[in-house]
Amino acid sequence: MRRYALYLGCTTPTQVIPYELASRWVCRALGIELVDLAEFTCCGMNQVNLSLEAGSLLAAMNLAHAEAKGLDILALCPACAGTLAEETERLRDEGRRARINEALALVGLEYKGRARVRHLSRVLYEDIGPERIRAGVRRDLSALRLAPHYGCHSLKPKSVFEGSDDPDDPRTLHELIAAAGARPLPYATLPLCCGGKSFPVSPEPALSLVRKKLDDLIGRRADGLVVQCQTCYLMYSGQQKAVRERFGDRPLVPVLLYPQLLGLAMGGDPVDDLGLDLSAVPLDGILVKAGLAKWS
Amino acid sequence: MDRRDNASSSAPALGPDASFRRDVLRHEEARGLYACFSCGACTAGCPISEVFPEFSPRKLAKRVKLGLKRDVLEDPYIWRCTTCRGCEQHCPQNVRLYDILNVLKNMAAEAGFAPPAWVEQTRWVMRTGLVYPRDAALAKKRRARSLPALMSRGEQAERLIARTGADKIKAREEP
Ligand code: SF4
Ligand code: SF4
Repeated sequence: MRRYALYLGCTTPTQVIPYELASRWVCRALGIELVDLAEFTCCGMNQVNLSLEAGSLLAAMNLAHAEAKGLDILALCPACAGTLAEETERLRDEGRRARINEALALVGLEYKGRARVRHLSRVLYEDIGPERIRAGVRRDLSALRLAPHYGCHSLKPKSVFEGSDDPDDPRTLHELIAAAGARPLPYATLPLCCGGKSFPVSPEPALSLVRKKLDDLIGRRADGLVVQCQTCYLMYSGQQKAVRERFGDRPLVPVLLYPQLLGLAMGGDPVDDLGLDLSAVPLDGILVKAGLAKWS
Repeated sequence: MDRRDNASSSAPALGPDASFRRDVLRHEEARGLYACFSCGACTAGCPISEVFPEFSPRKLAKRVKLGLKRDVLEDPYIWRCTTCRGCEQHCPQNVRLYDILNVLKNMAAEAGFAPPAWVEQTRWVMRTGLVYPRDAALAKKRRARSLPALMSRGEQAERLIARTGADKIKAREEP
């Protein structure tokens, strides 16, 4: 049994509960044990806007907590995973580690440099692997043509993701979608950012970016978009209404988080296990093609 | 470091505020800035530039090199970066523009130009440990879905953030 400290981040447990539900269900079904740590806080990703130092201290504090429990971190948010992993790299420098540990001593902590951090999708890809995922599939999803959206923080920076996927031509999410039995759909705007991290201070450009990708998917007649980040999910699913209000009516594009898709394939209950009923965009089309009647 | 690369601009040697350049370059993350030769690959790879051409990472790098302190720190566009890191991925000179933008945002925040959203998030981290509030309605929603109660606390984060002075940063006045 693999055991990880579950790093929920800020947005998933407060605003994207279906991601948490589906992730916990899928991990349980695949024999990945997730341990909840009361000590975890924000990773510091957004704090760097005001203070790079504050961001680093928060990241290091969370790493120290996981390390103290002897656990590696499994993060649901790619930006948390990247922020924490990048900090583990910076903290290889002894001078920096000494300086950061001086601050951590304030709260009775020390980071020794042993924590390892990965995002859920990467753990699924590397620890379980497409082949074993395929072996666990119970429902036929081959009627679904789904576009993969990787999200910027799943591929960049190089220093963290070197060797795990190619940021210019990523394949892992394509393979994970195929392993769940659906058909990954090629499309032109695949690399496009969701704009989520600029949305709180400047919604305009972000909505334009969301619109661009949605319109591409509508043109490609995709059955849906598969994301692996709660912020991408909020932008592409949650903001579709705003896009339609601003830029005019257009067909709705269903959006799934990867563990929701995998959970569907593995026979999970769409509502209780995977939270598909909590989607801002109706997912009936997906359920019908998955051979499931629409829920009441 | 070769400073002659600004020779084609007017008042190149020092620019309007030479100390600004030095202050930026003092940060380890920003050191590569002088390798920038204004090729524009960063801007070509920037999604915000794609939909809002007024936002140009290349020009921003140039303005920092020219020492245009006020112009840069007061610019609301520096806050529009969506942290995708496309700029540094595409840069042939390994300039870490994303990190440089963070250095600039830190300086702008200290000078009183931080957007309320980021200041508010820091306040919440110091209280709940997360960038958002946590209320009874959320607790109920989580219970209804059999999810464990959220346990994070803000005390440790608060002490660490206070050590950096970021707890004192005030948001800019919104027009
Ligand atoms: S890509 Fe690099 S070298 Fe080219 S303009 Fe941007 S920062 Fe400068
Ligand atoms: S990190 Fe910011 S500046 Fe760089 S490409 Fe992305 S949005 Fe543009």
